[in-house]
Amino acid sequence: MSENNKPTGNNYEEIHAAFEHIKEKHRRDLGDTDVHYIKKIRRFSRLFEIIGRGLIWILPGPFALLGVPFLFLHRNLESIEIGHNVLHGQYDSFDEIPQFHSRKFRWKAPVDEAAWRQEHNGIHHVHTNVHEKDPDLNHGFLRTNAQIPHNVWHYFQVPIYLFFVYPAMLYNFNSQNLGKNDKFREQRFPLGNQGYATFENSEALTDDEIKKRHRRSIWRVWVKEYGVFPLLALFTGSGFFKVFLANLLADALNNYWIALTIQATHLTEPLQPEDAIKHQGKWYVSQLDSSVNFKGSRLQSILWGHLNYQVEHHLYPDIPSHRYPDIALEVQAVCKKYNLPYKTNESWWQAIRNYIGLLWQYSFDKKDQQVAPSFLEKETSNVG
Amino acid sequence: MLGKMKQKLHPLLIKHLGRDRLEYFASNTMNIATQAFDSFIWSYQCQAKIIEVRQETADTKTFVLLPNQHFKQPLPGQHIEITVDTDNSGSPTARCYTLSEIQQDTVSITVKNNPDGKVSSWLHQYGRAGMILNISSPRGQFIYRSQEKLLFVSAGSGVTPCFAMLKALESTKKPVDIAFYYRTRNPEQTIFQKQLEQTGQSVTVNFSYSQPKDTSSQAHLPHQLAEMYPDINERHIYLCGPESFKNEVVAHLKSTGYDLDNLQVENFRPPEVSVDESSRLEGRASVLLKERNIQFEIDAQTNQTILEAAESQGIQLEHGCRTGMCGTCRTRLISGKVSGQQLGNSIYPCTSYPASSKIVLE
Repeated sequence: MSENNKPTGNNYEEIHAAFEHIKEKHRRDLGDTDVHYIKKIRRFSRLFEIIGRGLIWILPGPFALLGVPFLFLHRNLESIEIGHNVLHGQYDSFDEIPQFHSRKFRWKAPVDEAAWRQEHNGIHHVHTNVHEKDPDLNHGFLRTNAQIPHNVWHYFQVPIYLFFVYPAMLYNFNSQNLGKNDKFREQRFPLGNQGYATFENSEALTDDEIKKRHRRSIWRVWVKEYGVFPLLALFTGSGFFKVFLANLLADALNNYWIALTIQATHLTEPLQPEDAIKHQGKWYVSQLDSSVNFKGSRLQSILWGHLNYQVEHHLYPDIPSHRYPDIALEVQAVCKKYNLPYKTNESWWQAIRNYIGLLWQYSFDKKDQQVAPSFLEKETSNVG
Repeated sequence: MLGKMKQKLHPLLIKHLGRDRLEYFASNTMNIATQAFDSFIWSYQCQAKIIEVRQETADTKTFVLLPNQHFKQPLPGQHIEITVDTDNSGSPTARCYTLSEIQQDTVSITVKNNPDGKVSSWLHQYGRAGMILNISSPRGQFIYRSQEKLLFVSAGSGVTPCFAMLKALESTKKPVDIAFYYRTRNPEQTIFQKQLEQTGQSVTVNFSYSQPKDTSSQAHLPHQLAEMYPDINERHIYLCGPESFKNEVVAHLKSTGYDLDNLQVENFRPPEVSVDESSRLEGRASVLLKERNIQFEIDAQTNQTILEAAESQGIQLEHGCRTGMCGTCRTRLISGKVSGQQLGNSIYPCTSYPASSKIVLE
């Protein structure tokens, strides 16, 4: 590696130190503000849940739809701003909130937490945008770059994802994290899993354990949303199906929202070299190069789980998310100083258009499709 | 009335649901309301409720405990740590007690009242049915290893792990040849005397009294073990008791040429650990992963991180980048010291080295 990466225009030791400096600064600053923040978000989530479920229960017929946005807010806060960030261990160092410790937290989402932490924190965040390493390049079978072998499914990837996968995106994550998506590709694709990252099973789970974990992570949501609450409504003289359908709608909206947020901040070329992680300064640059922010207010950012600050999240995954807007300014300054890539879309809509365009483009196997070189590779070749 | 209902509910829940399903149910329904309703089930702590207290001898009681869902099923011979704030000072005291009996849902500890011992005297004074204690999951390597000819040698309250193994072996109906040597002061101070007298035919139990009232009864001294058990060299020995007793037995076994590889000794107290924060650790460090109840050792000479040391011994730890960047391995330090990045109680095993000889991680 040292042979190929001759001294470049950039001093990576210095870059590493600059990014570490930001991290240390915020780590030293961790304290009551963070605890208050996460507890406040949980209180709001509960409040929205009560209002949402209350309206759905009380209001007759189609008027019950008025409760759905509130229930959506509850599901959304729990899934991303609380769940995703807590599972990164952002609040592990605070003794007083065991409910927000990554290994104790239980998600109100149909995703097995331990498998998620392995796949998401341990693989996706480490090997971001690395071919056949990062499972989030595909989220199932998406073709997002020219290196992934094309097959007939890819012609339909845009409609399949928009209409069928996104409304159940969290269920798709769970299947991915527990290796079920690999089986799908094995059975249906001529080249099987070639070109895709496969399940590493770092916990050495047996098939039965995987089935059990998959079942349990989903049933806890279904029993609550489609069993207990509709039945409660039925017994109190309200409609079973009214509540069932309203909950289903909130579930689908939540899934769709998350899918659009995550894909819009990630599905970006270029692919990254696999060995970036071996050099810390380069790893930071590979993270900058493979994520893209989009602009929004602080309040909106909460609803996106601060994933519109995907760049900052990827640089510092275990720093509490509400700090990302502040960190962003410091990161931008470092990027400017060393002339590093810092990618931002002007709006969520623009980000969505960009990546759907990319999905469309790679639906087809065209000869002129080329693999874009990463920032690190360009740097190396310029000097070489 | 609600209180009484809950008293009855806990054993039923654990019996019918089992700890695994109860954990699934409780952890997914954990909130302020459920925690306030019942802090035994809806808790992040490994706890146990005392459900029965039995007087064994004048100064020894057995406490039957019902652990909650965070408890792992123990092996006979293992012990648990009980943590009690005996003087409400805010700094609780922890002591280890061997499990004297292990059932599907309950475990028992048999505690001798030691007037100088903080926890044992507290338990004797205040321990009542219904009380909830903070406990650890079971630990310890003093466990039965499938041999077929055994000799248990114990003295005083050291009988507890041997008794637990004996009970477990009896219930398996495995054809194991067991001899049981138990030394106490006199019959009144003999714990489990009745149960030991009623053991099956495959077990030979020998009591030995150091201060018998009836002086005519024959007492086999520890240094007569080889005479008592002529086939002692074929037997695997499990030894537990006070320090002086153990030394005496070991010395005797050495003198008879007994193969000490076949001897297992339970150490009641782990060696005292001095935590010197400034000095670099030399020698070995033991790491306990509390929630998973796994223990392993690190040799400081090998310069391995905690993660590497665990992996080299076949123990999987959650990890990602191995460079302290992604935070996947981040875990909580409960006691001991490590060198490397530390955030409050959080440490990064992938870039941490042991800095004290005993480390407990979440």
